[in-house]
Amino acid sequence: MSVKIGFIVNPIAGMGGRVGLKGTDDVVDKAVKLGAHPIARLKAEEMLHEFSAISVNHHDVVWVTCDDDMGKNELEAIGIKNIQIVYAPKGSRTSANDTKNACKKFLESPPDLLVFCGGDGTARDIFTIIDKKIPLLGIPAGVKMHSGVFGITTNATAKMLQEFINKQLTVGDAEIMDLDEELYRKGEWKVRLYGIAKGIIEPTYIQVGKTCFESVSDDEVKDELAEHVNDELEKHKDWMFLFCSGGTIDSIAKKLNIEHTLLGIDAIYQKTLLAKDVNEEQILQLLKKYPKTKILLSPIGAQGFILGRGNLQLSPEVINKIGIENIIVVATPSKLIHTPILRVDTGDKRLDHRFTNQGYLMVVIGYRLSRVVKLQTNSF
Amino acid sequence: MTQITKRNPNKFLKDEFDELVRNHLEWNIRILESGSKPHSIVNGKEVIMLCSNNYLNLSNHPRLIQGAIDAAKKYGAGSGSVRGIAGTLKIHTEVEKRLAKFKRTESSLIYQTGFAVNSGLIPQLVGEGDVVISDELNHGSIIDGVRLTKADRAIFKHRDVSDLERVLKDADKKYRRILIISDGVFSMDGDIAPMDKIVKLANEFGAMTYVDDAHGEGVIGEDGRGIGAHFHIEGKIDVEMGTFSKAFGVVGGLIAGSQDLVNFAYNKSRTWLLSGSHPPAVSGAQLAAIDVLETEPEHVRRLWDNTKYFKKELNSYGFNTGGSETPITPVIVGDAGKAKELSNKLYDEGVFALPIVFPMVARDKARIRTMMNAGLTKKDLDFALDKFEKLGKQLSII
Ligand SMILES: Cc1ncc(COP(=O)(O)O)c(C=O)c1O
Repeated sequence: MSVKIGFIVNPIAGMGGRVGLKGTDDVVDKAVKLGAHPIARLKAEEMLHEFSAISVNHHDVVWVTCDDDMGKNELEAIGIKNIQIVYAPKGSRTSANDTKNACKKFLESPPDLLVFCGGDGTARDIFTIIDKKIPLLGIPAGVKMHSGVFGITTNATAKMLQEFINKQLTVGDAEIMDLDEELYRKGEWKVRLYGIAKGIIEPTYIQVGKTCFESVSDDEVKDELAEHVNDELEKHKDWMFLFCSGGTIDSIAKKLNIEHTLLGIDAIYQKTLLAKDVNEEQILQLLKKYPKTKILLSPIGAQGFILGRGNLQLSPEVINKIGIENIIVVATPSKLIHTPILRVDTGDKRLDHRFTNQGYLMVVIGYRLSRVVKLQTNSF
Repeated sequence: MTQITKRNPNKFLKDEFDELVRNHLEWNIRILESGSKPHSIVNGKEVIMLCSNNYLNLSNHPRLIQGAIDAAKKYGAGSGSVRGIAGTLKIHTEVEKRLAKFKRTESSLIYQTGFAVNSGLIPQLVGEGDVVISDELNHGSIIDGVRLTKADRAIFKHRDVSDLERVLKDADKKYRRILIISDGVFSMDGDIAPMDKIVKLANEFGAMTYVDDAHGEGVIGEDGRGIGAHFHIEGKIDVEMGTFSKAFGVVGGLIAGSQDLVNFAYNKSRTWLLSGSHPPAVSGAQLAAIDVLETEPEHVRRLWDNTKYFKKELNSYGFNTGGSETPITPVIVGDAGKAKELSNKLYDEGVFALPIVFPMVARDKARIRTMMNAGLTKKDLDFALDKFEKLGKQLSII
C-alpha cells in the first residue's frame, strides 16, 4: 500500500543562527551578507538519508513536493524517485509566501502527512494554511524549535516518519508556538501559543488482559484527565481555577462544558466562566476577590515548558500570590514520552529556584493517576 | 411474543470479538490433553513445556495428589458456603497455620485466588484521602484492585527507589495513608523488586508495603519461602501476597503478615466474604505442597540448577537474556515478527514457549519468554537448547 508524504523545505531556515541572528524572518539579506550558509537542505538530506536507511518499505512512498531547493533537490540528492512536484517557487530567493502558496497546493490533494524542514517560523507559516487538515512533522533546522510538531533531531524525525508509515504512531494534537521576532532580536523571550496543529504522537496503551494491550486514543486519555479535573473542581468549590492555554486544557474544558480560550487564560469559578482571556493585571485583580486559586496547566510546545513560554500572564507576582503548591500540571502520557523533562523560566530567579529545589513535579496523567517528572529551570 | 426491534442487545458480542480478531488480539486457547507436565500434550502435540508457572512441577507430585484425594474423601467435594458463613473447614485453617509458619509471619489468610486478594484487599487498605504508589510494571490484578479504590494513584519508575522517594516526599504532605505496592518478581523480565530498600524507605515515611509475590513464592528465598526470605526481611513487609497457582502447583491466593492484618482482611475483603471457599481437595493439596517444600529441598534446587544451566547455554550461543534474576528467562529477539516466527517454529520442533511483543515490552525488545521447570531433565534442556540454537541461526538472531 502506498503512502503519500508531502515534503517541503524552507531553504533559508536556520541561516540566522550561524551569524548570531535569531530567526531569518526579516533578516535574510543581513544573514547572507554576514556569510550564512543554508543548513535546511543539509538537515533535510540528513533526515531523508536516515529514513532510507532504516525503512525497508520506503519505495512505497510517493513524495509530493516543490521544485528546486524547496524539496525536489533534496529528494533527488538521496536518489528518491517517486516524486510529484506540485509547486514551483517564484524568483531566486524563496519567502514565507512560497511556503504558504505551496501549502495551498498540498491541500488540493492532501498527503497523509506533511514533512517540512525549517524552524518555528516555517511551522507557523504552514499551519496558517494547513490548520488541522494534514498532520505535520518538522525536521528541526531553524534557530528556534518550540513547536510540538518537530522531531528532536533529524534522526529522531526519520524514525518518527518510518513509524508513522508503519502505523505505529498515531495522529494527535501538537502546539505551534510563536516567538515575537522583534523582541527576540533585542534579547527578550516572548513565546506564545499560536495554534493547535495535528502532529504525530506515540499512542497510549492500556492493558486489557494479562498479555493483551489496546491503544487508546488521545481523546480517551483526555476524558480521564477531564474527569480528574472535574473532581478537583467539585472538591474545591470555593476556589477559583485558572485554565491556561493549550490543546490539553482546551479539550478538558470542552469536555466539562466550560467555555475556554485556546490561546489564553480563563478564570473559572464553580465550573462557570468568570473572566475570559485574562491578562496579568486582571488576574491580580481577581486574586483579591478569590485568594484561594489553583492554576491548571499543561506543558506546551516541544521543550516541555510549563511556565515561561506561553502562559506569560502567569507572572512571578501571580505565581507567588497563588503559591506553587496550587499548580496542577496535567499531561497525556504520549506527551511525556517526548518531553520527559519539564521546564520553568518565570523570569524570576528566586521563583525558578523554588521550583527546581524540588527537582521534580507531580504530573497528572490519568484519572487520579500521577507520576513524578523531572523539572529544570532553563532559559535557552 | 413480541419481537424486539428497539435494539439488538447482543450485537456487540460478535462485533467486539470480530474487532479483536481483526487486530489479532483474540486469545487462541491451546488445549492441554495431558496435565501440565514437563512434557505436555498441547493441541495434540508433545512438547517441552516452557511456559507454565508450575515451576517446581508440584502439580504432578504424588504427595499433592494424595493430599487432594485424602481431603476429598474426608471432607467431600465442595465446601458448601462462603468462608464467612459456614464454609470455613478445619482444613482451611490448617493451611493458614502451616503457611504462616512457612512464611515466618504471625498469621496468614487464604483467598480463592491471587486475583481475589488483589481485587478484594487493596480497595480496603486505602480510600479517599489516601494514595497508592505503584511500580509502573505492576500486574493487571493489582491495577484492577487499585481501580476499585477511591484513593489517588501515583506511579514510580520500574524498580527505581529514588523515583519512589520523590513520590513519597510529595505524598507525605498530602495524604492520610500511603500504600506502596510492587510485584516481587516481575513476570515479563524475571527481575526482582528491591523490597529491602522499599521497606526501609516506607518505614521512613510511615507508608504501608504490599508485595505481590506470585512468581517468587516457592522460587526465591531459602526453600522457596519467597521475597521476604530472599532479602531476609521476613515479617517486615506489611502485606506479603502470593498464590498457590504457580510454584505451589495448586490454586489459591494468600496473604501473610500480622494477625491485625488478617483480622482486618477477612472482615473487609468482599471477594473473600462473598465467594465460595476452596474445595477440600484444594486445601489438601496446598497442605501437601507446603510439606514438600519444607521437607524436599531438591525441587527448588533443581529449578535453580536448570535455570542456571539454561541461561548459561543460551548466553553462550549469543542470545540476549536481559536482566532476569529468576527462572523467568526472556530470550530477546528484537523484532516482533521474528519473535512470533521463532515461537511457531519452536512449537513445530517440540518446544512450547510464547512470544511477548510490543506493547508489553518495548518495540525493539520482542522476546520469547521461557519459564523453567524443576521436572525437566538435562536431556530435555539440551533438546530445547538445540532447537533454540538451530532456529536462532536460521532466523539470524544469533
Ligand atoms: C503477578 C501476579 N499476581 C497475581 C496473579 C493472580 O494469581 P491467581 O492465579 O492466583 O489468581 C498472577 C497470575 O496470573 C500474577 O502473575
